[in-house]
Amino acid sequence: MNDQQIQNTLARVMLGGTLLAATIIAAGLIWFLATHSGDAPGDHIFNKEPKYFENPISMVQRAFEIHEVGHRRSLIMIGVVLLLINPAVRVGFAVLGFAMQKDRLYTAVSLFVLAVLVFSFFW
Amino acid sequence: MTEPLFDLAVAAAAFVAGVVGALIGLGGGVIITPLLVLVFGIDIRYAMGAALASVIATSSGAAAAYLRDGISNMRIGLFLCMATTVGAVCGAMLAVVLDQKMLSVIFGVALLVTVLLSLRKQKDLSGAAALSDPLAVKLRLPGVRPTPEGPKAYAVHGVIPGFLIMIVAGILSGLLGIGSGAFKVVAMDQVMRIPFKVTTATSNFMIGVTAAASVGIYLKRGYLDPALVAPVALGVLAGAFVGAKLLPVAPVKVLRLIFLTAVSIIAVQMIARGMGFQIG
Repeated sequence: MNDQQIQNTLARVMLGGTLLAATIIAAGLIWFLATHSGDAPGDHIFNKEPKYFENPISMVQRAFEIHEVGHRRSLIMIGVVLLLINPAVRVGFAVLGFAMQKDRLYTAVSLFVLAVLVFSFFW
Repeated sequence: MTEPLFDLAVAAAAFVAGVVGALIGLGGGVIITPLLVLVFGIDIRYAMGAALASVIATSSGAAAAYLRDGISNMRIGLFLCMATTVGAVCGAMLAVVLDQKMLSVIFGVALLVTVLLSLRKQKDLSGAAALSDPLAVKLRLPGVRPTPEGPKAYAVHGVIPGFLIMIVAGILSGLLGIGSGAFKVVAMDQVMRIPFKVTTATSNFMIGVTAAASVGIYLKRGYLDPALVAPVALGVLAGAFVGAKLLPVAPVKVLRLIFLTAVSIIAVQMIARGMGFQIG
């Protein structure tokens, strides 16, 4: 793969990922609103989110427990996390691309950036 | 106001911010956060979280288009992302310990600086490839860009000062939940003297990666309220899309002037709010 081919593949992955994330968020929002139509909005006061948002794995589990409280919010959060992963995927592709070109310097550079992203997510 | 009405209003405001942002080239963060704080009375931490998520959304969409055109320089982008991501992680950690008022003040100041940077007449300082700094050559940063007359090589200068400014841009991004695109662009086209188009495309790529580095920390600290992120991200995304379509026909110069004036007023209000008194 040359530079331009890598970039084209990457462009498709990014666009697809963004659209998928937006669709999931929209679905979650509509569902959330349908069940909370009478509530007052609650964003005026800072109130930490529930524990299960702190870990991507427990968040995904929660989203599949349809009858649990927080299910719909979790669905939106999965869409949001998909959005957030998009740049990391971008960098991951760069690591692969540079590795295939046997470009050691830039494989290392993109691995460093990827490591910082992963660290920030799981720290 | 009930939740659906409130969300609809937020989404509409985010849409307008997305359109304006795409037209005048400022990202969502600097517009969305003050809007949510000053108009909707939302806690600045939730506002920052929602804005940062929408910054990533628009950056991914736009960066995809630029990548296909082959204008953005992946080497420059990734090299500078080492600075911005580390800065962003530090900024996000700092945001967690600072209080709401302090954040408002810093936000207002950063807004004013952003306006000043956007008002400056920027000269294209790019030059021929042969004139690059030795360090830039060693790092293989100079690239080739497509032009109407065929591919053209360009030089890269000021690697170290550019890198240092990027650390600051990263800290601001993590601290305030903005893309800090204005800072990135200045570092690249004024300090490193990279051609405009390459700068714009590359900074777009970097904004998303930088934002992702701090948003993980926001997520853990509970700055992302799904009920707020959803209407904001969707509104901005749709707005940015429409804005990009309107770009050829919109009166960009007039809009820019009106908008930058508005942002300056907002900046003063954010500072005033942080200091404990309210204007207008």
